[in-house]
Amino acid sequence: MAGITWHYVLKFIITGDAAVGKSSLLVRLTDQRFLANPDPTLGVEFGSKLIEIPEEGKIVKLQCWDTAGTESFRSITRSYYRGAAGCLLVYDVTSRASFANARSWLADVREHADPHLTCILVGNKVDLCEESGEGTSSGRREVPTEEAERWAEEEGLLFVEASAKSGRNVEAAFEQASRDILDKIKRGVFDDDRSPGVKLSRPTNGSLALDGASAKQGCCS
Amino acid sequence: MDFLSQTYIALRGPTGAPQSAVDTIAKLSDRLSPSTLLADRRAAVLSLKGLTRDCKEDVGDRALPGLIQVLQNDAEIDADIGKAVLETLHQLCEVDDATKDLALKHTDYVLANEQVTHTLFALLGDTNFYIRYATLQLLSTLLQNRRQQVQSYFLKAPSGAPSVIAVLEDKREIIRNESIVMIQALISQSPDIQKVLAFEGAFEKLFNTVSQEGGVEGGVISLDALRCVDGLLRFNSSNQSYFRETALPSLLCSLLLFPPNLLLQEAAPQEFALQFWDDQKVANVSLVIGIMGMLVGSKGGSGQESTIFVRCFVELALGSNAPTPLKTQALRLLPSNLSFPLSVVILTPYMPVPETNGEEWDRLEPASALDVLVELALHGEYNGLYGDKRVKEGLELRGAAVAVFDNFVHKEEIKQAIVQGMVPSEETTNAPSISPLLHALCLPPSSPLSLANVTTTHIATLLFSHLLASSPRSKALARSIKPSATPVAQGQFFVPADGAPSAPQPVEDDDDDAPQSVLHLLSENLSLCFLSRSRMEGTDDREAREWDRLIVGYLCLLVQWLWEDPKAVREFLDAGALGVLVEPINQTAESESIVPGLCAFLLGLCYEFNRQPGEITRATIYPIINRLGVDNLVGQMTRVREDERFKAVGPEAMVLSYPMHAPLGANPADAEGEIWFDWAFVDFWKSNHYTVQRGLAMDPNALAASSGPSAESAMLISSLRDVIRSQAQEIDDLQNKLKGNSVGESQLNDMRSRIVALESELQDSEGKRKDVEKEQEDLLVLLDEMSTKRRRDKERMRGAGLEVSEDEADDEDDDDGDDEE
Ligand SMILES: Nc1nc2c(ncn2[C@@H]2O[C@H](COP(=O)(O)OP(=O)(O)OP(=O)(O)O)[C@@H](O)[C@H]2O)c(=O)[nH]1
Ligand SMILES: [Mg+2]
Repeated sequence: MAGITWHYVLKFIITGDAAVGKSSLLVRLTDQRFLANPDPTLGVEFGSKLIEIPEEGKIVKLQCWDTAGTESFRSITRSYYRGAAGCLLVYDVTSRASFANARSWLADVREHADPHLTCILVGNKVDLCEESGEGTSSGRREVPTEEAERWAEEEGLLFVEASAKSGRNVEAAFEQASRDILDKIKRGVFDDDRSPGVKLSRPTNGSLALDGASAKQGCCS
Repeated sequence: MDFLSQTYIALRGPTGAPQSAVDTIAKLSDRLSPSTLLADRRAAVLSLKGLTRDCKEDVGDRALPGLIQVLQNDAEIDADIGKAVLETLHQLCEVDDATKDLALKHTDYVLANEQVTHTLFALLGDTNFYIRYATLQLLSTLLQNRRQQVQSYFLKAPSGAPSVIAVLEDKREIIRNESIVMIQALISQSPDIQKVLAFEGAFEKLFNTVSQEGGVEGGVISLDALRCVDGLLRFNSSNQSYFRETALPSLLCSLLLFPPNLLLQEAAPQEFALQFWDDQKVANVSLVIGIMGMLVGSKGGSGQESTIFVRCFVELALGSNAPTPLKTQALRLLPSNLSFPLSVVILTPYMPVPETNGEEWDRLEPASALDVLVELALHGEYNGLYGDKRVKEGLELRGAAVAVFDNFVHKEEIKQAIVQGMVPSEETTNAPSISPLLHALCLPPSSPLSLANVTTTHIATLLFSHLLASSPRSKALARSIKPSATPVAQGQFFVPADGAPSAPQPVEDDDDDAPQSVLHLLSENLSLCFLSRSRMEGTDDREAREWDRLIVGYLCLLVQWLWEDPKAVREFLDAGALGVLVEPINQTAESESIVPGLCAFLLGLCYEFNRQPGEITRATIYPIINRLGVDNLVGQMTRVREDERFKAVGPEAMVLSYPMHAPLGANPADAEGEIWFDWAFVDFWKSNHYTVQRGLAMDPNALAASSGPSAESAMLISSLRDVIRSQAQEIDDLQNKLKGNSVGESQLNDMRSRIVALESELQDSEGKRKDVEKEQEDLLVLLDEMSTKRRRDKERMRGAGLEVSEDEADDEDDDDGDDEE
């Protein structure tokens, strides 16, 4: 097993209403695939991906916990908020309700997560709006871009519209969020070991020390 | 103390007269109400705790609501009352033999809603030693009694996972140990909880514990922590992918002192190969490799990580001094469809220096892992050091090695390459020395039997049958193996031929004293065994049993070899097999149930697949079968299926206990074992015995019982069969001509291997007939190919100035005619 080839490990959670395409976004990120008929997520599923942030010269390992949107799992999925450094808050641009519910998801995240958590609002399924031509005149769109953008700004969220189906902006969404986290690290926001969702990699060549500190030590300081 | 006097008053009652326990409990319960002073409540709890042992039911009936109220209101504020109430609740809920129902009743009350559980997980965050400890104990007990209920509450508890992780980090050993016990129950069969804890960093914490305890050298705490890791990963693919993402997989290797970056061409270090072992360490290592095996076996295992784990297993099993059960486990953990290059990896086996009590070891010559594996299967650990003991444990290891070999040779190319390696090559003057497998297979059975040799030969028959099973090409190659053609260093190979008629062997015979083929040798050994076995009757049960074992080994190999291989059937029959088989069927002793049945099966098989022209035809065998009686033969075969030795075999169970009584006080680890069948054979038998059974009743002129062709395809088959037969004949003729000619050696070899190829193609086409309706097209294509090849052969021969018959056109016409049907 080769030595570790990344500089940071960032923990992400993906939340939002059921069927907005959270799992699809993750599968697109990790496997470059799109499933037309994924199963609804039960509890949480794990996935990971290495990405590069060229302007920082850093390689980042994303550890993503994709949570279930179904209400009955909400208490389980909340347990994951606390340990995350980043959050993808997903809604479906063709579903007004999913956008409305994003408020309550955000409230949940704010209540349980680290205050320094970086959150990006992702309007998924834009491919459905592009079918009948350009712009917002498309018949299926229910959430105008400007409206979502405005709300994101009010709440201090990053914002992007994406499609798990076409792949558009999927990686970009994760990159944008990661960049923001790295920026916070640089600015020393996490100076006291506060975000459990960020870890520095340890220089290992497999034979790592059997040392209790190994896992914690790395927390960005 | 204050509370003592108060208790006293409570017990004595205001009048001074002794009260009944029930009254006391009622009084004390009233005092638990929040309206009393904290000190009074504390005193009441302590008194109740004292009464719980003797009056569990009454305390439960009266005091539970109050105790729970105290737990929720006071425990956090006052450690003394907290400890007391936790302990009381624990006593009320703990199941002991006498009060099981009662304890469960109390548990159900405590778990009536999520409140208490949530309070308990919140209390876990308290750093007070007694509170933490007592909370952990109560949680463990509740989990033990009503696991699922607690689990569902845990998932909703606001601070569940973080506080569990916090106790795992507790520096106080007792707390940490207790928390590992609690976690084991908490995560059991709950993928959601497993994931939450993994997310919170449970893996890292658990491995910290393992390393603080001294890794695999650690005691029971290491073991429990590793069990937790196992519990978090098993059947949880999400956690497995997460785990793979961490640096922990290489840590698993490091725990075993195996370098996680070892390259394929590098040798494993001696510090890994030679270690000191005790029972605790064996248990720990067993868990570690179990976890590694889980990661190798599950989907998504990255190639790199799997390769190093597999290498680690191979080294542990074949090149280390690990105790036998660990080696067996390591072999069993190798993934099915093994793609590890066993024949390329070189490893260093070790031998214990005699009389050093396992403290000194000799390093042996490096050898390929495949060679060491075969050696291990054939002779057992350490070059057969314990070969004559046949301890069950040792047999398990050898059985596992057989299974790995089977797994490894699953690929057709590998099978063929290995068999090819046994075929004498006539180009090289110094033939390669005989392979150990072949040597073991051909060991002459000599009376009195050596236990070690019987096992060795028996296992060789198993290995060899894996090389041949369902591979027409390997079977064809195997027919040309002549063990004695190679220099034999190891000993005498030949037993005097037992009057078996030496039939002409059109394929191999170069001259009169040509060495025998393996098939020939096997049938002779078989007949020799029968002879010796018959002398044994009633004299020495143990030795008789060993002869039977050897016979069973030969028969099982022959059954799998001859199946669908008419050429081999021909050769076997020509070696005088008929007589050898008929006798044991005829004179069955009631006690023997498997040998006659196997003979009957083989006889039926020889009848079914006797499709090559020769002296002994189906018409020769038919009356013999009738004389023995089809019903009788079928009955014999059925008895095999019903025999324990057959029934007990499973995919991972081939070693049985030797039925003789072990001496009193014997160590169970030294128990004797035995092997009769392996799973491959049992499986084979189950899927094919009906074909043989049906074939027995068929007319000699009938077509193969293995297919159920329609009348139309039957005609097609018989016409195709004629074509093949005539072509086979022609090939033989061509070959004879070739032989008679003074063509150069190399050209002859060339032709010969071409013929082998043609033969196997012929067999292929024969097999394909089963599905004639679907496959007839394929068959025709094949025939066409063959004709082309033959034409080419003929051209070559013409080129070599030989005479060639001119029947090409006829065959072509036949083919065309069939095509149009
Ligand atoms: N057209 C289109 N369909 C999408 C897109 N992303 C997801 N879908 C579809 O939306 C449905 C739900 O997708 P999921 O990824 O399972 O949704 P989820 O958010 O993970 O749902 P839960 O796991 O139940 O919370 C599926 O049928 C997807 O094929 C997208 O970008 N475009
Ligand atoms: Mg999902």
